[in-house]
This record gives sequence, structure tokens and C-alpha cells, in this order.
Amino acid sequence: MNILKKRAPWLGAIMLGMGFAVANAQDAAVADRTLAGDQVCTRCHDETVAKPILAMYKTPHGLKADERTPGCQSCHGPSVAHVKNVAGSGKRRTPPDVTFGLHGASDASVQAGVCLGCHEGGKRTLWMGSQHESQDIPCAGCHRVHIAADPVLTKATQPEVCFACHKTQRAQAHLISTHPLAAGKMGCTDCHNPHGSTGPHLLVRNSVNETCYTCHAEKRGPFLWEHSPVTDDCTNCHTPHGSTTASLLKARVPWLCQECHSGDHGAQVDSGANLQDGAFTTVDGINPLANAAARAQLAARACLNCHVLVHGSNHPAGAKFQR
Amino acid sequence: MITNRTVTRCGTIPVGLLLLGASLCAMAAEPAKDQPAKDQIDPAVAELTQLSSFFELGAGWVSDDSFKFGEYNGLQDKGVYGVGSFDLRGGARYDSSDTTRWRITGTDLGLDTRAITAEYGKQGKFRLNLAFDDLRRNRSDSYQTPYLGVGGSVLTLPAGWVVPTVPVLSATSPNARGLSGAVASSSALVGGVLTAPTPAQLATSSALIAADLPLFRHYDLYTKRERFEVGGSFLLTPKWELAITARRENKDGTKPMGSVSRSTGGDIAAILADPIDQTTDQLSASVAFHSHANSLQLGYYGSKFSNNIASLTWTNWAQPATSMTMSSAPGNQAHQLTLAARHDFTSKTRLVVTGSYIRNTQNAAYIVDATTPLVPVPSLDGLVVTKAFNLKLTSRPRRNLSVDLGYKFDERDNRTPVRTYAYYDANDAASATPIDAAFSAALGVPATLLMSNVNVNASRPYSRRLNELTANADLHFGATQALRLALGSQDLHRWCDGSWIDCMDAANTKEHSAGLEWRASPNPRLNARLGYTYTRRTVDAYNENAFLALVPLANVSPSTATGGESAYSFMLANGWNGFGPAAGYALTTGNMNLFFPLNNALANSTYQNGNRISELLGMRRYNMADRNRDRVRGSLDWEPGEHLSLQGNVDYHQDKFPDSRYGLIDARDWALSLDGTYTFSENMSLTLFATHEDQRARSNGNTYVTNSAATSVNGNTIVSGGCFATIALRNASNKIDPCLDWSTDMGNKINVFGATIDRKNLRASHLDVGAQLVVSRARSDNAVAGGNYSNSPLAVATAPPGTIAAYYIPAAPLPTVVTDSLELRVNARYALSAFSMLRLQYIYGDMSSNDYAYQGMQIGGLSGVLPSMETAPHYIVHVVAVSYAHRF
Repeated sequence: MNILKKRAPWLGAIMLGMGFAVANAQDAAVADRTLAGDQVCTRCHDETVAKPILAMYKTPHGLKADERTPGCQSCHGPSVAHVKNVAGSGKRRTPPDVTFGLHGASDASVQAGVCLGCHEGGKRTLWMGSQHESQDIPCAGCHRVHIAADPVLTKATQPEVCFACHKTQRAQAHLISTHPLAAGKMGCTDCHNPHGSTGPHLLVRNSVNETCYTCHAEKRGPFLWEHSPVTDDCTNCHTPHGSTTASLLKARVPWLCQECHSGDHGAQVDSGANLQDGAFTTVDGINPLANAAARAQLAARACLNCHVLVHGSNHPAGAKFQR
Repeated sequence: MITNRTVTRCGTIPVGLLLLGASLCAMAAEPAKDQPAKDQIDPAVAELTQLSSFFELGAGWVSDDSFKFGEYNGLQDKGVYGVGSFDLRGGARYDSSDTTRWRITGTDLGLDTRAITAEYGKQGKFRLNLAFDDLRRNRSDSYQTPYLGVGGSVLTLPAGWVVPTVPVLSATSPNARGLSGAVASSSALVGGVLTAPTPAQLATSSALIAADLPLFRHYDLYTKRERFEVGGSFLLTPKWELAITARRENKDGTKPMGSVSRSTGGDIAAILADPIDQTTDQLSASVAFHSHANSLQLGYYGSKFSNNIASLTWTNWAQPATSMTMSSAPGNQAHQLTLAARHDFTSKTRLVVTGSYIRNTQNAAYIVDATTPLVPVPSLDGLVVTKAFNLKLTSRPRRNLSVDLGYKFDERDNRTPVRTYAYYDANDAASATPIDAAFSAALGVPATLLMSNVNVNASRPYSRRLNELTANADLHFGATQALRLALGSQDLHRWCDGSWIDCMDAANTKEHSAGLEWRASPNPRLNARLGYTYTRRTVDAYNENAFLALVPLANVSPSTATGGESAYSFMLANGWNGFGPAAGYALTTGNMNLFFPLNNALANSTYQNGNRISELLGMRRYNMADRNRDRVRGSLDWEPGEHLSLQGNVDYHQDKFPDSRYGLIDARDWALSLDGTYTFSENMSLTLFATHEDQRARSNGNTYVTNSAATSVNGNTIVSGGCFATIALRNASNKIDPCLDWSTDMGNKINVFGATIDRKNLRASHLDVGAQLVVSRARSDNAVAGGNYSNSPLAVATAPPGTIAAYYIPAAPLPTVVTDSLELRVNARYALSAFSMLRLQYIYGDMSSNDYAYQGMQIGGLSGVLPSMETAPHYIVHVVAVSYAHRF
């Protein structure tokens, strides 16, 4: 049937959201995934609704020749009462069997059940019990399947989706030292798997370090001289979402280093008194300019003026991370 | 290393990708199989349902150069740039009997941030993809250096280079501050006397400045990643899927990096342009089975890092006849096998088990020279095996109850052998005195091979094993409330295989956590959650002797010791760590005088290291210290009406380290965010947000120096300030002087404000306008308390009686580091027709910052660090771009 020759029926045939598979076998028995089945919905839901959905036919969810492709009812259920225009308790039309969204929709577990009916496995294997699942975040809390391009699947627009909830990270992404999130060259999912993972903080790999090494393989080593906190966890020193200090450090050097190193010159106190205009020596309150050198451990790259290879050194003379 | 393919502004696009793009574009001209000709389709319907393509072409203009503004977005250069992007889609229509679809996209084609992707597939059968991605990261546009060869791995000083000095202070001691005319011409305290430079000294200064400053040249330091990716996934059957992806990333360019060299009188440093020329190849492949109740996935991931620059060699700016070499990151590879299996016992109970095995190796040849007299093997032959196992059992025994149990095992087993190496610091020349004969014998080397200033260190291949149990339960109370209880227990073991002594500060830590979260959704317009988690980490026994793993000679009795005592055995016998007795000066004899002379810390000569590496008594490294952690998270979403939505979020995080006398004592971070969106109509909305974040960390230290019997400074005895009135008392009390305690209180106060407004369908639905504003203000403070003593430069032998010998210099707060930025983006789209539009984009970027660290990079800043002239980021940039976009 070439429904394009009759626009109104065609519009009637294209409707309502189509996530994925059926919620359960019983629904599957009655759900009609064909365009004819969609027509049940599109009698009312045409392109004039507030949230147009026809663009879904541009997406994989609309390609009917793929036998896995759902219809409206596959995801929303047959919704008999809704179709019959039965008023619910609030005197509004009874909603479809399954509605999608972050709030005011079906239970998140019900929504997820629909989506996972097809999208089980792969990156979603660990969805059950994951942080987002346990927070009742439904798939539709992040994904928009009725539009041509789901923003969360595009690197440039993905962070804004995540930042809708992760607002502290949104603020940190605007600090002076960041990953290229704001520039759209990196997405949150480069590091995180929001569907559940074996790593901490929903990281894509088993550990923080394994995740970081996917882009920073030069830090992986193993090195002849390893730096203990580096092999332990990159976030001992770095904060990945943004920092007021260069290189995404959690604190400024030298004090970050001195939180672990108190021997030799690591013992010294570094303060404003050790800057060029500091009162680190006193001659009637005046320090002659020629004598007034700031302390090297405090200025420029501080400890990193000399201890350069803090991620590890492979030089036989590199135990102090200088070579 | 900057190559030809990166030097032009727009660069080049890989030929292969262009060919692919051309092929796919050609496909766009042909109707897909089973696809009606376009003239048969109602345009409105086609618009809504059919795949469409678009391209955008135009030009933009950047008002000013700024590396920071263009740090990641490619807009670092003043001038005109090309605007180009496209998104070509083709293939089967939704109602076609075919499932072939393809897509090729390009973004930022006129910039160094361009990306191109291509996909082709038959949905439900296979999908192939190609990608190319450029990412330029700007490092510094203010960097200057006199070194020649920037971009390469050998940096040399120009022939005319004159070692800078401040002649009035010393005619021979290298001093980078001598490059400053102001410094060179100022009076200086010399021998306690304020002395003006002589004409000859001024002439010397003028000559060296005239010779050296013109040799400083400006270099833009940036790195660029070019990433190529090819992959595919194949649905072999409805239940079996194969996926493979190969990725190559080339990274080249330069970045600033410190470097240290030994010079007369101490170490000197220079900020060098570190050349980058690296390739990382990654391959991942997986085969997966999936059925209703089971899934299984076997995967391989390989990563090979290759560094085309093995080392960096540079001339010592203070001793131009010498040079030294630093190693670059060694090539390495990792190969990982993963297995993940899922079984659903019932529709409500699931078990997921995953396992992973990684073999990570590195065997790059060592760089050896005269400063490395003892190198036992030519390369590391490093091997790290990482094993991970995860088990997760989740169940929904009741409709309102879900529980999950998890177990995690993660082990990094560094199997690289421990070996002992000897080297001289920073190109230091070997002294004329051999090391202790007993040390040479223990090392099995000739008695005259190693001299007294050599460092003898053993490698420490760090390993760790994590065992973790988690248990969580969610209980829903009706449809509106839920409680979540989360429990966790973690056991972490760390070690170094083959080390002569336990290498870890905390070989075993345990961490237990308990959390409770309440969630409520009394109605669809109001949602709230509040959670609290308490975590306690305990260390079985903090090992303050772990530092000795680096210095194996601490376990060897020096020939001057009696009774066969070594540094380690003597410590043990006395119950001390490397700090030794917490006591004042005392005359010591025998082994005590050898190992802890005058009650000082363990003498580093007794373990043959150039630096004292023992830590303070009570120092706890924060990643291995006892810790109590509190965390609160809350949020409130409220939609008081159809047009208004409000959100509030709070994060609170506090770490306390109760057993840490020195080191990080506590850290606290809280953030409050408020968001509001008002939708005026379908065509207009306004969103405002604000986040305030307050970070604070406090740490303690002690700036002790060695006890001594000295009673004066050149005969002067009075100490001004501090805890002791005389030099004798001060010198006798270094390890017990409370005035040497210091503390820091570091804080960041961050405020970020944002606004977004969108207005659509203006001018008869032709015009859409949107604007986004983000303002960020960050203030970093550090209130340092405590202080230290500093001998007075006036305390010379000829000083009159009563001259202050030393002052106690109280610590002073650091200047506030300020970063303010503002970015305004305005976008306007004017529809020329249903298929074409004009797009106007305007960006205003404004950043001002100050940071005292940059003082040290300027001429006249640091005496031992060659200035690099780098400056704190500051910019005001306007960007205007106009483009034409066409959809078809």
C-alpha cells in the first residue's frame, strides 16, 4: 500500500512514539508493529501535536523493513482504553498503556522493560542495579526517539543532556582547565557508560586508570620508576570535569605534592612570603630587588619545574621523575 | 612534532575519507531501492518522514588571536575561516522493503577541529563506519625560548648565548634574573652591605642582556590529535552479533615542560618545548550472543602506544658546554580479553558475570650515559597483568522491592622484576670519593664504579588487589516514595613483588560504606531526592618505613657501622621511622651518630641517596590514610505550572583524615545549583541557571631542618620572632620547634551563571533566534599559616653587636588567583525557503585571569629557572560567522 498517495491516511498511519520492543509477551501478541497498526494512533496524533513524532521515520526505529522495528503499540502497548477515548480519573483521556518520560510517566522500570526488550545486552548488560536504574531514571530521561537525531547520541549535544541533572559537573566544565566538552570534541560517554558498568562512577572500563588510558596511553607504562598514586588512581591528583588549576589538578602545586611529600625540600613552607614581593628576608622591611628571587618550588611550574615526569619515568636516572 | 599536514590553518582531510564521501554523495543522487521518485511525494510528507541531507557553507571572522579562547574549538587565530559542514543521508525509506541506509557527516571543515564520519549498513544485518576527527589543543601562545630546534628532540642554545648572572651578587653564579635590566642594575645585599653595581658590572649585565634577550623567540605550542576509525558490526543471526573497530590516533606538536640540570651551586631549570610525535592504535572486537534470558559477549581490546621520540636532549643554559637527556614516554601495549555473561533466572532475577584479563608490556630501550653507571639490563621488560572479575546479582522479589548484590575483584599485578640502578642527579658530575666499600660489595660492583654523590635506587613495581562487596536495596512505598539502602565493603591490598621491604605506606586498607536515600514524587510536578552516604576507610598498619623500598642499601651495614647494623636495623632497634627521635639536639656517637647524627632524621648518606626521603612522623599520604567520608546529595524538581520548571541540586562532600598529623587533614566541597526554565509560548523560552561551588582543603606540614650545635650566624646570636630567642636554642630544637609547623587552607569559590533564550518563528516564521550566556567566576585562595626561620643577610661577621641573626618569617597568604570568563553565543537562522536558510552566529568571549605562578616565568622572576615569558590567559574575542545552509 502506497500510503503516500493519500496524505491523511498516511498521516494517520504514522504515529506515536515507537521505542522498541514489547513490554512482555502478552503485549507482543496484540501489538501491531506495521504501518497499519500505527494508523490506530495517527488518527489523532498527527504532525500538529506539540511534540511532533513523524521524524521518527527517519530513524532506525522507523525502518519497517527491519523486522525488529517496532510500531507505536510495540512500545506504548495496545492502549485500548486510550484509543477508545475513555476518560481517566482526572477526566482526561486515559493515557496509553506505557508512557515515556522522566516525570509523570510510567514507572521507570516499565519504560526500561520496553526498551530493553530489544536493546538488552551489549552496553546495557549491567543496567539492572546500575546507578541510573536505581535512581528511577528511565531511558526516555535521556533519549528522545521521536526526533530525527537524538541529542544524547551526538557528541556536541550530549553534555547538555547529562548536565540537566549533573549540574556541578556543568559548572566545572566552564573552569579554566577542562576536557574539551564545551567544544563538542568529547562526550560524557567517552568516559562513562550511563547504562551501567563494572567500573566506578559508571566508567566505561573496569577502573579509572583503564578508562584514562584509552586516550592517554602514554601514561600507561609500566615504567621503570612508577609513581604510586598514579598507578593507584588518576583521580588521586586529577579532577576530570574541570579545575581552577591547570592540568585538571585537584589542588595547586606545590601543596598538592606536599600532601604526600614531607621530606627534604618537600618539608618547606611555601607561602606568599616566598614570592618575589614577599617578606622572606627582612632588611628594614625592604628587600632589594637583586636579592628578591621567588622560590622556584612555588612559582612557574613549581615542583614540576624539575620533577617533570610525575606519571612515571623510564630513564635509569629517573627515580626522582626528573628524567 | 609539527608536520606538514598540520601547519596550515585548514589542514587537510584524508584522501580516503574524501573518496568515501564522494562515493556516498554519488549514491545520494540515485533513488534508493524501492524508493519512489521525489516528485511523487508530497513535499510536506517527505519533509516529515524521509531522510534528508544538508550542507552548510560560509565564512567566519575571528577578531583576535587567542590560544585560550580557541583552546579546543579551532578558533585561535585572528582572521577569516571557512564554515563548512554537511550531513548527507540516504538509503531506504521507512516503508521501503529495503533496509540499506547510509550517512556521511562533516563538521568544522574549515577549522582544526574538523570531523568526518561515514556509515553504511543494512539495518538488522550489518553496519560499517568510518571516522576522522581532528582535535587541536592549544597550550601556549606566549611561550618564548632561546633554544634552537623547537619541535625536534635536540634543543641547543644559539652560539651567542651568554650565561646570565647578576654580577653585583656573583660574577660566576648563573642567575636567570640577570636577564632583567632592573634586577641587574639594582643594589644588592652583598656581605651584609647594600651594594650598588659597579660600572663594570653594569656593563657586563648590559652585554649579556643584549646578547641573550634577542635570542628568545616566540613559539606557539600546541598539540594535535588526528583520529581515524574504521569499524563494523554484523548481525550474524538474530542472536549473534560481531563487532570490530580499529582506531589510529596520531598526536603531534609541542607542549611546555620543565627540565632540570645540575649547575654550580645547585639545580637550574628551563621550560622546554617538549616534542610530541606519538601514535596509539586500538583494536576492539567482540562477538556477542543474546537471547531472552541469556547473553554472552567475548571481547578483545588491544592498545599499542608508539612514541616516535625516545628522548629529549637539551643544552644546560647555565653550562652551555653540557647537555642532558630526558626520556619520553616509552612505547607500550596492552591486550585485553573480556567475557561477560548474563543469565536471567526468572524475569525478575538476573546474574551478570564479567571477567577481564589484560597483559600490559613495555620494553623500550633505556637511555644510558655517564650519569647512569649502574644499569643492570638494557630495557625494563615490564609486564603488568590486570585481572578483573565482577559478579552482580539483581532481583525484584516483590513489585516494590529490588535488591542487588555485587562482588568486584580487580588486580593490577606488576610482575616486572625489581632491579637496582645507580645514577647521578640531573647530570651531576661524579665526585672523587667512592661510596662505602660495603655498599659496593653488596651491589657486586667494583669499588670505584660509584662515587659518593650517586643515588642507588631500586625500582618499585606497584601492585594492588581490590575485593569489594556491595549490597543495595530499593523499597518503594506506594507510587510516590522510595528508600534506598546501600552497603559496601572494600578490601584493598597493595604490594611490590620482589622489593626488599614492604613498599607500600598502606599495604591493606578496608573501606566500609553505608548510604540511605529517600526519593519522593508526590505528584508528577514535584520530585525530590535526598541521600547520605558515610564511608570509613581504615588502614591496618600505616608503614612509615615504606620509603626504604627505594633505597636497598638501607639494609646494608656501612663499613663504618658497628655490630653489623644497617640503617633499617638501627631504626627497628630503636623503634623509629626515618624521622628518628622526636628530640632536640644531642651529641651523638657510634651508630647513633652515623645513622641519626645529632638526633636528626636518618642520614640519607646511609642509604645512598642524594635527598632525604624519609617523611615526617605522623605524615599520612591521603590516598592511603584513614579517612571518614560524608556525602550528601539532594535535588528538587518542581513544575509549579505548565510554563515554569525549577530545579535545585546540592552536593556536599567531606573527607576527614583523623590519623593524619601531617599531609591532607580534611577536604570539603559543596555545590548548590539552581535552574529555572520559563516557557513563554511554543516559540519562546528562557532558562537561567546558577551554580555556586565551594571547595576547601587543609593540610599540614613542618619545615624542619637539621639540629646542629651552631650557636650563631657569623657571631650573631639573636633570633627575632619564632619560638626561640637564640640561634643556639633554635638549632638545638629543629625537630621539636612548634613554630616550624605550617598549614595551608586552600579554597576555591566558583560561581557559574548561565542563561539561554530561544525565540522561534519571528518575521512570519522565517527567523529563529537563540542566545546562550555563560559567566564563570573562580577565586582560589590559600591561607598559609606557620612560618620558618631565615638567616638575616645583615648577619655578617662585621655586624655590630645586637644584629639580628635570623628572623622568623611568618607565612603569608598567597595572592588570590582569579579567573573570570564570559561567553555569549547568539545564533540566528533565517529561512529563505523551506529548504534553505541563512545562519548567523556571533560569539563573544572574554576571559581575564591572574595567577602568581606566571611571575616565575617572567624575566627577573626566578633565579634558577629560565624565563619562558608565558602569561596568564586573557582575551577578548569576537567571532562572526555567516553561512548558507541547504537541505535536500
